Amino acid sequence: MDQPVIDLRDIKRHYIMGPTTVRAVDGVTLSIVTGEFVSIIGPSGSGKSSLMNIIGCLDTPTEGSYHINGETVQGLSRGRLAEIRNREIGFVFQSFNLLPRLSALENVELPLVYAGIAARQRREQAMEMLAKVGLDGREKHLPAELSGGQRQRVAIARALASRPSVLLADEPTGALDQKTGVEIIEMFHTLNAEGSTIVLVTHDMNIARQARRVVRVLDGLVVSDGPAEDAA
Amino acid sequence: MKLFAIKESAGMALRSIRSNLGRSLLTTLGVLIGAGSLIALTALGNGASKAVEESLQSLGANLLIVYSGQPRGTALVRRNTSNIVPTLSENDLEAIRELGYVTMAAPESSLNAQAKYENRNASITIIGTDHNYPLVRNYYPVYGEFFSESDVDTRRAVVVLGSKAAADLIGPDIDPIGERVRVNGQPFTVVGVMQSKGNDTTDNQAFVPISTFLRSLSGGSKYAAINVQAADMAIMREAQSAIEAELLRLHGLPSMDAADFYIANQLDVLGAAQGTAGTFTLLLGGIAAISLIVGGIGIMNIMLVSVTERTREIGVRMALGAKPGDVLLQFLVEAVILSVSGGVLGIAAGVAAAWAFSRFGGMAVAVSADAVLLAFMFSLVTGLFFGGYPAFRASRLDPIEALRYE
Repeated sequence: MDQPVIDLRDIKRHYIMGPTTVRAVDGVTLSIVTGEFVSIIGPSGSGKSSLMNIIGCLDTPTEGSYHINGETVQGLSRGRLAEIRNREIGFVFQSFNLLPRLSALENVELPLVYAGIAARQRREQAMEMLAKVGLDGREKHLPAELSGGQRQRVAIARALASRPSVLLADEPTGALDQKTGVEIIEMFHTLNAEGSTIVLVTHDMNIARQARRVVRVLDGLVVSDGPAEDAA
Repeated sequence: MKLFAIKESAGMALRSIRSNLGRSLLTTLGVLIGAGSLIALTALGNGASKAVEESLQSLGANLLIVYSGQPRGTALVRRNTSNIVPTLSENDLEAIRELGYVTMAAPESSLNAQAKYENRNASITIIGTDHNYPLVRNYYPVYGEFFSESDVDTRRAVVVLGSKAAADLIGPDIDPIGERVRVNGQPFTVVGVMQSKGNDTTDNQAFVPISTFLRSLSGGSKYAAINVQAADMAIMREAQSAIEAELLRLHGLPSMDAADFYIANQLDVLGAAQGTAGTFTLLLGGIAAISLIVGGIGIMNIMLVSVTERTREIGVRMALGAKPGDVLLQFLVEAVILSVSGGVLGIAAGVAAAWAFSRFGGMAVAVSADAVLLAFMFSLVTGLFFGGYPAFRASRLDPIEALRYE
């Protein structure tokens, strides 16, 4: 078996809110290996967002150990976490989160800027990624000049730009119409077929079933984990 | 790597400034006005200081003036010696000339007189002195000659006219040399015309041999003042002490408190005038510095607004791998670009204003390289200091919170 890309062991994330402790994640163990396409599903308040923040290295667990690509994550400084995010994680957000004043190309270049890659090489890589998501010729467009589906494809290109270990998508179709949403899921299938590891976080079973493996989260715990065909 | 990060930050900052151009320009205005006024006001102060210095230098190099009587008020140098009761004798003058520190000395007494040439009249100040006066006071004839030592010895009735006195009495059409003018009824032959000092009081003087002056115009035998040239700028204090000691001895007086003379030292006058001008410059500079600080607060204000407005952008950048240091640098560089461009524009505006003051206001100005450097450094420090806090706030944002920010 391959070494897991994402390896969570008994992860807990507790928030202290005044006198009470909120156990948002309360002991999750989860491994994801390279090339997997996994959905994490759960209703709002289930702890899936907290889990996603930990997987995305935006947050660190209160307890437990987390290794990404063999590297220990807990106990790192904000700066080191940022480096890991830059290198290992490609984020795709529900609301795209493109910077409105930057062109499509400049948005895709952003992670490469923070990786310290020189302008010329950065440009080439970003062009390549935009072509990969079918947006060649739209490099100079501002986000406002693109449709919702196109914006999400720019965001996907941006997530792929630094060739991360994992593509982490949070409700990527949530702000899109049915048809466009299907197109985006198609794109994930294509990328997965080309070898990308994808983690898709959603509350929608219809979307979650598109993955090959579905992890159900409830009250901070994993309640089921198995192939998509088994998920009800 | 660090240089690369600064270059990237500058690119981001410029883009952000461009997309908010109106607001950025208004923000910059505060620093612009601060830096501009720093340049313009210190230029005025320095100009005043230089003007004072030059006018004192033009009195003559290493000049000490021994006056009869006690100093009146703070004005050490007296423009007019006509109302002084003279206490200085020829003996005093000879003794001063013998002192080691002294190169030369010239007596001086004066009175206000009526001068007449044909049917023209003028009120002029007649100064009795000797042939050393031009050298001691650094003030020379442009036409003809100053009277000679033998003119003084033989009490000749000759006069050297100041430029205004010559123009008023004789006019431009007649060669004044050899013409006869009457001073308080006494006939004098014109032997020279002095250069113009550009100052009506000085240019309206006329010079006659001190011996002639005492005999035919004022009566008495004492001088109102003695102009002394010290051998060197460095020994003016010693020269002053030596003269004081010598005159006290000659006059049989115990100390300077009881003295019937005092000495105006060019250094003291220069020092006092420069001190005043320096205070003036400092004051103006202080006002300008305060306005620069106010400009800095404007920058801080707008940067805080900007950080809040761009919270989500900061979250996105952090998610994509921006380290706290990257975010800090981005906002800091933006603040510094705003304040430094304000500073540079302000320096240009200040230099232009100083030029306008001198061109249209006739004021003495001197833009100093120090002030330009100071304004630049001040605007840089303003940007770093007042941009620092907003940039720090931005860098401390929690990426999860920031991404959720609407």
